[in-house]
Amino acid sequence: MRLPKRLREYIVKILVDFAFLLEGSRRYKRIKTFFRNLLENDEYPYKRYFDLFMIFLIITSVIIIIEEVTTPISKWLYYYDVYFVTGVFIIEYLLRMWVHDDIHKIIIEEFENALFLERQFDLAKVFKEIARRKWEYISSPLAIIDLLAILPSYRELRILRVFVLFRVFKLLRYSQNITHFFQVLTSKKSELFTLLILVAFTILVSGISLYVFEEQANPNINHLFDAFYWSLVTISTVGYGDITPQTHEGRIITMIIILSGVGLISFATSIIVSAFNERLEEMRDERILHSVRRSSNLYIICGYTSIAEILVAKLAREGKEFLIIDMDKKRVKELTRKGLRAICADASKKETFRSINFARVAAVLALTDSDMHNIYICLNIRSFSQEVFLISRTIDHNSYKKLKLAGANYLISPYITAGLFASKIIEQPIAIEAINDILNGKRNAMCDQVEVVRGSFLEGKRVGEIDFKAYKIVLLGVVRIDPGARLEGQRRRFYFNPEDDFLLQVEDVLVVVGYNISINNFKSMVIESSLGRKKR
Amino acid sequence: MAERNDKILLFGFGRYGEQIGLNLLSEGYNLVVADSSKEGLKKAIADKIEQVFVIDIYNDEEIADLILDHRISKVFCAFEDEERNVYLTITIKALFRNMEVIALCESKESERKLKLAGANKVIDTMYAAANRLYFILEKPAVAEAMDHILFKDPTIQFREVQVPPGSFLDGINLSQIDFKQEFNIILLGLVDKELGNRFIFVTRGINHKIDAGDILVVLGRRWDLERFEAKLKGGP
Repeated sequence: MRLPKRLREYIVKILVDFAFLLEGSRRYKRIKTFFRNLLENDEYPYKRYFDLFMIFLIITSVIIIIEEVTTPISKWLYYYDVYFVTGVFIIEYLLRMWVHDDIHKIIIEEFENALFLERQFDLAKVFKEIARRKWEYISSPLAIIDLLAILPSYRELRILRVFVLFRVFKLLRYSQNITHFFQVLTSKKSELFTLLILVAFTILVSGISLYVFEEQANPNINHLFDAFYWSLVTISTVGYGDITPQTHEGRIITMIIILSGVGLISFATSIIVSAFNERLEEMRDERILHSVRRSSNLYIICGYTSIAEILVAKLAREGKEFLIIDMDKKRVKELTRKGLRAICADASKKETFRSINFARVAAVLALTDSDMHNIYICLNIRSFSQEVFLISRTIDHNSYKKLKLAGANYLISPYITAGLFASKIIEQPIAIEAINDILNGKRNAMCDQVEVVRGSFLEGKRVGEIDFKAYKIVLLGVVRIDPGARLEGQRRRFYFNPEDDFLLQVEDVLVVVGYNISINNFKSMVIESSLGRKKR
Repeated sequence: MAERNDKILLFGFGRYGEQIGLNLLSEGYNLVVADSSKEGLKKAIADKIEQVFVIDIYNDEEIADLILDHRISKVFCAFEDEERNVYLTITIKALFRNMEVIALCESKESERKLKLAGANKVIDTMYAAANRLYFILEKPAVAEAMDHILFKDPTIQFREVQVPPGSFLDGINLSQIDFKQEFNIILLGLVDKELGNRFIFVTRGINHKIDAGDILVVLGRRWDLERFEAKLKGGP
């Protein structure tokens, strides 16, 4: 079909102008994103409400249609079903088709290509592409279900009522678990297809032979269909017994297909079970990632090595939230059994962290026992977030610089720590033991930090004015943030055993030693005093 | 109370051994290094450690000779292989019952074994590192303070001071003396001979009477500590 040149140009101009108008419109984009989130984004908080609303509509409409089969229903219920529910379904269907892709982008792309290659704008190609994209949506199984679910509202054709079934299927869309079930089955598509062919073949062969042998002898077998029915009932090991073979030949066939039936059933079971086994871990990981998304102050621990194990035990005791990522399936299984959140994934891969919101992550720790792997992890994390606090374990001291370059904020090495402690433990064994006890909170004594909160009684006081003895704690020193420091490592300055006239400022942190109970008491007094002053 | 004339024998010059050796050296200890492989010792020589020996840890005589020849007073077992450390500890304890043995391990399991084998001190390296991580994450100010006190500022020191009989502290109650006001040092706690050799924190709140023979654990600047010790010994 050839359009007159003028008309053609006119259509192209309108199309392109319209496409650019949409592309440039912020409002259009906002609205489209909103609907896309509402319909397709599981992370979107309002999607849940929308899903619940749709489930309610489906259930009520199904009840109405079933009720209608036997008894006449009230006019209002009829209107509700035919106009409201169907209306919502149609709108939803159209909205889904709309958000499925952006057609204005196709037009713009073609326009730019045409401009670049100095050829004519190809209208046919654009329309074909648009039709193809939309068809992609229309032909998808869920869209077909949606479409068929609209049909039962057309009451004039009673047969369409059958499609009420599709309203039930439509429920699938709003339930995550069932969609997972279908995903699992589709992952085994080829195996299931093989199975289906095998079953069909067996039914065909055995059904035909039974028909041939028994059509005359058996009063229950009148058509080929009866033979196929019998064959399926037997092969599936259901065996109703309404049709039984009467001749010897028939019984021999029965024996053969009973044996092959057992094989086919176990084949089918094993396919489905193995599919679930494969996918189950993935699904579990997804669920864990989902649950983690809501927690703030999350620690992500990559590699469950012995150092991580101790740290995790400590964090778990304190009720902190963390996520362990390890490559070893067995280890992850063990951890989940203990009730810890662990997923089996490669922390140096991009997909692992794709769904993690790093704004809510307190720190990431790369604790695997390979420097190379830790460097990979650090680089990977930094590709997601520049700000998140990143700690890495180092093994070889040659890797120190490399890990720093890879973006690690802090490096920990058991070897260096051991070395530092070793000389001190010879020199001052009791002191080191005391410090260890304090740090580990053994015997209820501990070392803790208390921040000088704005408005608390600590603000603007001199150290000498605070009677630490009365609080039954010992002040070791004060950490002050030095904003002018050039290097990050030097930002915190520690003032050991400050003089009595040391003036405390807001954001200073007191490092104190004492018994658990006295420190907590002191902390709560600081907090209380800050609240009290604010009120006044 | 560091006695720098202590001679220390360090077994194993792997990753742990190297770090420990370098630290001990920088603190001025007299160090002897022994390893079963020449590779480790090459590194030791490169690190300027003078006395290095190849030793077969299954040969008791060799070990005994080494310890006797060099008049070793403390032994460090710093192999990366925990089993070796356990074996070595038990060997040394069998040869010299009173030798002080400090051993490294990487797990609770081995820590228990080393203690059973008779090690005087056990450093669980993984535990120490994990602990450090914990403080960096949860209590950064405490971590900073500990770093500063233990490693960064050499003028801040811990001292374990034994109270001599007849000194000004003998027979005094803890509440009667303000260590900060008088000496500018911090008293963390003490080991009381009367109450068994247990370390008691000063903030326990119990008014404790100091006796001669008690060991005070104090923390402060070197010069302040020296002033305190001098006073304790009956100086001005």
